[in-house]
Amino acid sequence: MATLQGYVDHRVLLILQDGRAIVGVMAGYDQKSNVVLSDSKERVYSVEEGVEEIPLGLYLVKGDQIVLIGELDEALDQSVDLSTIRAEPIPPIHY
Amino acid sequence: MLPLSLLNAAQNKPMLVELKNGETFNGHLVNCDNFMNITLREVYQTNADGDKFWKLKECYIRGSTIKYLRVPDTLLDAVKEEQNRAREAGRSARGAHVSGAGNRGGRGMLQRGRGAMRGGPIRGGRGRGRGM
Amino acid sequence: MDKPKREAILDLSKYANERIRVKFTGGREVTGVLKGFDQLLNLVLDEVEENLQTESDADPKTRKLGLVVLRGPTITLLSPVDGFEEIANPFAQQE
Repeated sequence: MATLQGYVDHRVLLILQDGRAIVGVMAGYDQKSNVVLSDSKERVYSVEEGVEEIPLGLYLVKGDQIVLIGELDEALDQSVDLSTIRAEPIPPIHY
Repeated sequence: MLPLSLLNAAQNKPMLVELKNGETFNGHLVNCDNFMNITLREVYQTNADGDKFWKLKECYIRGSTIKYLRVPDTLLDAVKEEQNRAREAGRSARGAHVSGAGNRGGRGMLQRGRGAMRGGPIRGGRGRGRGM
Repeated sequence: MDKPKREAILDLSKYANERIRVKFTGGREVTGVLKGFDQLLNLVLDEVEENLQTESDADPKTRKLGLVVLRGPTITLLSPVDGFEEIANPFAQQE
């Protein structure tokens, strides 16, 4: 059964319907996939500059806004130099 | 920890709420319910473009229209502390009983199914957070 | 945290006969005098004015709708008109 239990207290990447990418520690969730994210940072991708990381703190994100929750491989994530990454930001997702 | 527990613990704390339409509301949480409907007081509203501002004495926001809420960082530890304290108190009160239900208190709480429909009338079928 | 589950968190009786502002999913916004309501947040408003033309600096146009029943499920925001005012940027130093 697909459950978020395995991600609790792990660093995750959240992608929201408006295209935002947020990383943080998943402190909790519920049946509607509402998520509590602590120590969260928004990663703003751009083609011209490196990734901008905006610290956001403690977040409660509504489940219906979440498109994807991915467990971060922390070692791999640490090894990446964000200032070298160039990428197009994800556009808002429309149904 | 359940998102709703965090929200309930945030009463009287300042927070930022962003709605699906991009508007943001900064204010103190007065109350909240299981649908994540909230009431705020002393609210600063900003439009989606970030260039217009209003002050509101208070407002009510439908949970289904919320994109996310930002709450003070200290709240997380405060809630965990309280849950631990409650668990310790429960444990000592119950003695040395091995209590499966009690131990699941940290996560399971009361909500097993959806949004805690405690046998009330059908509340208009709304507030599931499913679409607008 | 022992709240009576059936009680609404917003006591609308305190706004009886007062002008309130209501926003709807889809972006519409009205103001009107609260005459009645129910648990589902269906409302009866009198002397209703719909605010057209948001996000434009021109004089806000309104249209009068008279006595209206507003359906609760589509309501996204509710606030009293008393104490509602436009202000300059309150966040002096952003970020």
